[in-house]
Amino acid sequence: MIELIDIHKSFGSQKVLDGLNLTIEDGRTTVIIGKSGGGKSVLLKHMIGLLRPDSGRVIVDGVDITRLGDKELNEVRKKFGMLFQEAALFDSMNVEENVAFPLREHTKKKDSEIREIVRERLSAVGLPGVEKKMPSELSGGMRKRVGLARALAMQPRIILFDEPTTGLDPVMTEAINELIIRTQKNFDVTCVVISHDVGSIFKIGHTIAMLYEGKIVEYGAPEEIRKSENPVMHQFLAGSLEGPISIM
Amino acid sequence: MFSISTEAKVGLFVLVALIILGYMSFRVGEYGFGLKKGYIIKAAFENVTGLDKDASILVAGVEVGRVESIALKDGMAVVSMRILPDVKLERDVRVSIKSYGILGDKYIEIEPGTRGVSSLGEGEEITRVEKQADIDKILRDLGTIAQDVMAVTASLKKVIGGEEGVENLSAIVRNTRELSDNLNKVVKQNDEKFSVMVDSLKNAAMQMDKTFSALSDITERINEGEGTIGRLVNDREVFDNLDRTVASLQDITDKINKGEGTIGKLVNDEETVENLNASLKSLDRSMEGIDRYISKAEQFRTFLSYRGEYLFDTSDAKSYVDIKIQPKQDKFYILGVVADPRGKRTVTETTTGGTTTRKEKWERDELLFNLMIGKRYKDIVLRGGILESTGGVGIDYFAFDDTLKFTFEAFDFDADRDPHLKIYGEYRLFKHVYLMAGWDDFISDERNSSPFAGIAIRFEDDDLKYLLTSSPIPTK
Amino acid sequence: MNRISIALDNFGRAVLSNVEEMGKILLLFVSTLVWMVRPPLKVRLIFKQMEFVGVKSIYVVVLTGTFTGMVLALQSYYGFRMFSAESLVGSTVALSMTRELGPVLTALMVTARAGSAMAAELGTMRVTEQIDALYVMAANPVKHLIVPRIVASVFMLPILTIVSDFMGIMGGYFVGVTILNINEGSFVRNITRYVDLDDLYNGLIKAAVFGLILSLVGCYKGFNTSGGAEGVGRATTEAVVLSSITILISDYFLTAIMF
Repeated sequence: MIELIDIHKSFGSQKVLDGLNLTIEDGRTTVIIGKSGGGKSVLLKHMIGLLRPDSGRVIVDGVDITRLGDKELNEVRKKFGMLFQEAALFDSMNVEENVAFPLREHTKKKDSEIREIVRERLSAVGLPGVEKKMPSELSGGMRKRVGLARALAMQPRIILFDEPTTGLDPVMTEAINELIIRTQKNFDVTCVVISHDVGSIFKIGHTIAMLYEGKIVEYGAPEEIRKSENPVMHQFLAGSLEGPISIM
Repeated sequence: MFSISTEAKVGLFVLVALIILGYMSFRVGEYGFGLKKGYIIKAAFENVTGLDKDASILVAGVEVGRVESIALKDGMAVVSMRILPDVKLERDVRVSIKSYGILGDKYIEIEPGTRGVSSLGEGEEITRVEKQADIDKILRDLGTIAQDVMAVTASLKKVIGGEEGVENLSAIVRNTRELSDNLNKVVKQNDEKFSVMVDSLKNAAMQMDKTFSALSDITERINEGEGTIGRLVNDREVFDNLDRTVASLQDITDKINKGEGTIGKLVNDEETVENLNASLKSLDRSMEGIDRYISKAEQFRTFLSYRGEYLFDTSDAKSYVDIKIQPKQDKFYILGVVADPRGKRTVTETTTGGTTTRKEKWERDELLFNLMIGKRYKDIVLRGGILESTGGVGIDYFAFDDTLKFTFEAFDFDADRDPHLKIYGEYRLFKHVYLMAGWDDFISDERNSSPFAGIAIRFEDDDLKYLLTSSPIPTK
Repeated sequence: MNRISIALDNFGRAVLSNVEEMGKILLLFVSTLVWMVRPPLKVRLIFKQMEFVGVKSIYVVVLTGTFTGMVLALQSYYGFRMFSAESLVGSTVALSMTRELGPVLTALMVTARAGSAMAAELGTMRVTEQIDALYVMAANPVKHLIVPRIVASVFMLPILTIVSDFMGIMGGYFVGVTILNINEGSFVRNITRYVDLDDLYNGLIKAAVFGLILSLVGCYKGFNTSGGAEGVGRATTEAVVLSSITILISDYFLTAIMF
């Protein structure tokens, strides 16, 4: 379980998170929605200790990670896998080396075993046989799937998805959504997904949270969200220009 | 596709650069002065203006050393000179400061001494120091001489000025001629007697030589002693007198040596000289033979060493026991065994219908063998042969008078995997005890790569050497 | 009055930000040292960087070294000819190359080639979240990205300098002996007489320090990039300028200490 308690974060004079509270439950997929540039990625980076809040606490399985040193934080991070917006594959390595990276880093497995795990993960994301390709030779969707394979390599308990479907065509979007659902079920992991793709959120989310002006303004199961009377939520789902969300 | 691995490219480049460095260091430090070889001799000068540290020391224009340091002692500039180990300087060499080049760089010139005189050793001092030519002083001396000459010519003019003088002079000349004629007759008649005389003169000279060497011993001792006598002897004037005396003695013998007259001929009798020469030569030859034999045994050296290495990442310890046989200064053989707890790994991969099975076999606690031949070029040692029971090569680079050694070894070449590469540095802590640290198998694709640290004990074993040269073992 | 105070303000701010930057670079250096001794060292990454910094810089270093030696020989020849001391051209070229020009020119060329590339590469990794990805995978970026670059640079710069020194002297030899007809014997003899092992080795020590500077600055600038593609460009430029200046300034102090 991840609990974020009263998180404040500003960059310079710009307040991004303003007293945010959120609980991510185990074994479920939580989707965080909100407008572009509204601090969703910042929120996600707080969960894994890439950013530290100005004030507030981030508690992962009972441990406040805002107070940990590098070494302890690394131990906590081993529970996580993360898929970045642009996949963040290492340009200098081929697909196999990318996926094998965490294994080489944290296990003493033999090369042959690692190769086997990589093959398994790549077929799990539907990309068998791309081991020797370089990231620059892959399409955006393939990159994301390799990124997911890398995130899965260490069999993490929590997987963070930073806008997994942004910039993909509808078919690929569907494929990724399916992949997230399947991954969540097959590996029984906790997923946190950031998205602003209305179609996707109801498909994959067990719980949906709406981030608006640095706070969570709506939180609940998809059915509840659909029925929500909150004007922010309403405008977001309708994709309307009229409403409290400014389009500066 | 043919491609060279990153490691190989880097390795090749570094190797080429190190060879260039080795070449440049060798050329620049051609005489190895940078490495502090050779022995030190000293000389005290009155004035060393313009002489720098590292100035050349030349004998007959050939560089034999460099100035190590210049210090002031009792108002004299004491120059320490580092001389090449294979250059021998006689005890009676002359040393002086000269300059060359248009920039007027100063150097020290050593004029060779007499053949056969004993050589200068470490820390000894050259006593015959020539003063630097001082133009002012030379001019002043010349002036005085000119005045003297004028006075002499004036008095001469008085004596032989008149007619009477001329007559007297011619009488003197006449008498002199008669005298020399008579003398000649006497000499001819008494040839034999003269030869006896010369012999006894020779004896006397020999005696004198002995006396002088004894005297020099005594004076050295007195020189060191600071007592009453010492002070008396150290008086510069006494020395100068002595020096002059010796010099004039030298003059006399020189003249006899050159004289082609009756006496000269006797001394220089060619047959005698030839006979003497022949017997000396045969003596020389037999000495050389003995020398060669002795030096061969001397050169032949054997070393025993034990080396233990601890590998951090794999938490293993490796032990090596080596015998190094060195028949010549620059050539050696190494025989040894290695105890490696990881043992030797053999991997076999078999592919049947698309599935690859990998079999690894570990032969644990197996003893591995080293058998290598090596050769040393200056500071670089190349060796090759069997390394840990596989074919391998190694290169060692020695620095700082062999106290530091860098080693690179490559072995276990196999088409299926990267070769076993090992690199380490070794530092001589004390005599016989060495510390080392490095990286073992650092490009291993089998995750064997590990840093290591170790200690080695290495000593020379004489018994083994005599056993190997098949000379009898010396008994007490 | 107001204008003066604004000028002072700006000056003070510039000094402060420079001091702050120096401090941050120093901190990065310290953490590099810490990660350098913490096993396991990434040998493969170090070799990759060695290839990039060293092997791939050979051509440019050979070219600059050779032509520097040649022009030095030509220039000093006209000077020495006035004293009919042409034979000193060799030692002038050799001393200048080993003590100064070899290390400094090599360092500047490698800064332009590899230092800038380090800043650009790390900058790109920063803006595409690859560095974040390292953190997320509990892998320290200093160890994976910075240590190999710094180790490789510190090691390869002296190696490249050896090549540069050698090529410079060869270039000088070519111009002096082949073109200007200086006596070959005295040309070579003056080199061996006036150049000491110390000159050679101190030059190599300098080169190692320069290698540290250029890689540290390049990594620092790249590592702290922000602002997308434009930020990467800015980081690259700043890295080259700051490294070059620091190399030239530290060269003075190193020379003052060593010779």
